[in-house]
Amino acid sequence: MGTVYWLTLRQMMGRWRLLIMTLLAAMPVLIAVITLRSSRAPRVEEFELVVFSGMLAGSIAPLVVLAIATAAFANEIEDRTLANLTLAPIRRWQIVVPKLLATITIAAPFIATSAFLTSHVAFLGDVKATMAVTVSSLVAVSLYASAFVWLGLVTTQAIGVGLLYIVLWEGFFSGFVSGVRLLSIRHYSIAWMHGLDQRRFAAMDSLSLTVAIVTSIIVFGGFLLLSVRRLRRMDVP
Amino acid sequence: MIDVQPVIRVDGVSRWFGSVVAVSDVTFDVRPGITGLLGPNGAGKTTLLRMITGLAGTSSGTIEVFGQRVRDNPPLYRRMGVMSEHETVYGFMKGREFVRMMGRLRRVTNLEAAVDRAIELVDLTDAAHRTLGTYSRGMRQRMRLAATLVHDPELLILDEPLNGADPRQRVHFQGLLRTLAAEGRTIVLSSHILEEVEQLADTVLLIVNGKLAASGGFRAIRAALNERPYHVRVICDAPRELAAAIVRLDSVDAVNIDPDGAIIVLSRNVRDVQIELPRLARAKSISLRRVEPLDDSLESVFGYLVER
Repeated sequence: MGTVYWLTLRQMMGRWRLLIMTLLAAMPVLIAVITLRSSRAPRVEEFELVVFSGMLAGSIAPLVVLAIATAAFANEIEDRTLANLTLAPIRRWQIVVPKLLATITIAAPFIATSAFLTSHVAFLGDVKATMAVTVSSLVAVSLYASAFVWLGLVTTQAIGVGLLYIVLWEGFFSGFVSGVRLLSIRHYSIAWMHGLDQRRFAAMDSLSLTVAIVTSIIVFGGFLLLSVRRLRRMDVP
Repeated sequence: MIDVQPVIRVDGVSRWFGSVVAVSDVTFDVRPGITGLLGPNGAGKTTLLRMITGLAGTSSGTIEVFGQRVRDNPPLYRRMGVMSEHETVYGFMKGREFVRMMGRLRRVTNLEAAVDRAIELVDLTDAAHRTLGTYSRGMRQRMRLAATLVHDPELLILDEPLNGADPRQRVHFQGLLRTLAAEGRTIVLSSHILEEVEQLADTVLLIVNGKLAASGGFRAIRAALNERPYHVRVICDAPRELAAAIVRLDSVDAVNIDPDGAIIVLSRNVRDVQIELPRLARAKSISLRRVEPLDDSLESVFGYLVER
């Protein structure tokens, strides 16, 4: 598994990709610094809604993960090097798991650092709130990674489909249709954040932490299994 | 006589993509030695090889390699080495690094020695520390072959392996394959070039339009090819006189003169026509300006075998 993991890491380390991810990850931190220093600083609820739920969990985390996760398989399918792995005597899960781990390895530091700095600024160094936001961002990264790695295996238009999913499902429907929250990675992530610091986020409406943990496990494991199944059955170019 | 068990057994295999039939009801066995999969571009060779290697599934029929199903059976790849027709490599990786990675994926013991041996076999030791992105097409192919050989497989499947190789590399490559086959390995290689397969393969499988058009030793295939009627166009300064002489030859089936005054000869023994034509022209003091085959493309040769 180590060989596939290191290979995937090297394939993902594109200069432009890293630059775009750095810029995206820096945005919430900059917004936090600018808005909270202004004379009309928003309330925590407003800041949470716009920056943590809307930007970090709903836009930046999925965008960063999409850029990396789709490269895990989609690029190899496109340039036809995936056969180098599928023609090796290793089980399909031994290809999917390291690729998923490599995706998380690259995306997590960007998103976690962004979440940590943003919440540290927003909550004036409140350790518990900062950790809640950081952990929830890592949950978001893991879940989006699992979903987008699978997406890269089922369509050659993974970036386009992924963007539609982020904008329409996570951004639009999950904000207006309450039942969709049960099927939204953004809302799982927010529920983790609320559950880990109930004092700070007590006023906010979200899924319970228990539901979030269970659904997160189901989503992560489900997409992982779907990826393995897909790789076993697909025609590898 | 010892009946050697087939290494590959393809039984009634078809593969279609929507309404397009890429491979149609193909059945054959492959035994140790070199087997050439011959056919024009688009004949279905690659699809067939992809099914044999398990990269693609069949729409119907079964494929067994070493008596086991090949699809979704990764342990089988310990015994197989596959080199696809696609020349894409990890451009950022050094040649040696690539072969080492492939060896590691195949759980090769004594990895460094195996990597040295494989790279030496393809004669690329000097270039092994350069990145693959700087390699020529032929060098990339050879390093890919080294990666295919690193785990010393019993079965080698090579899709158009001589693409991009220069004449010296071709000779080296052919020698290498003969050596590997002499050691008891089974090698299946595809090509659309008749001579390439003729020089290497003990057995030929001729694939045309997704069907197995002929199979057997190369002599049998050659004989079948030689039986086909050829059209030859002859331009000379006295077409009617020469046509009258040509039509008397036993090897000629028909003779026509086209509106441009060229003689069109139809013959099943083109070799005889090649010998007799200059003799007849010389005897009648006729100048031959041009003699050309009209349907000598590989596709037309293969097409004839399918239509038979």
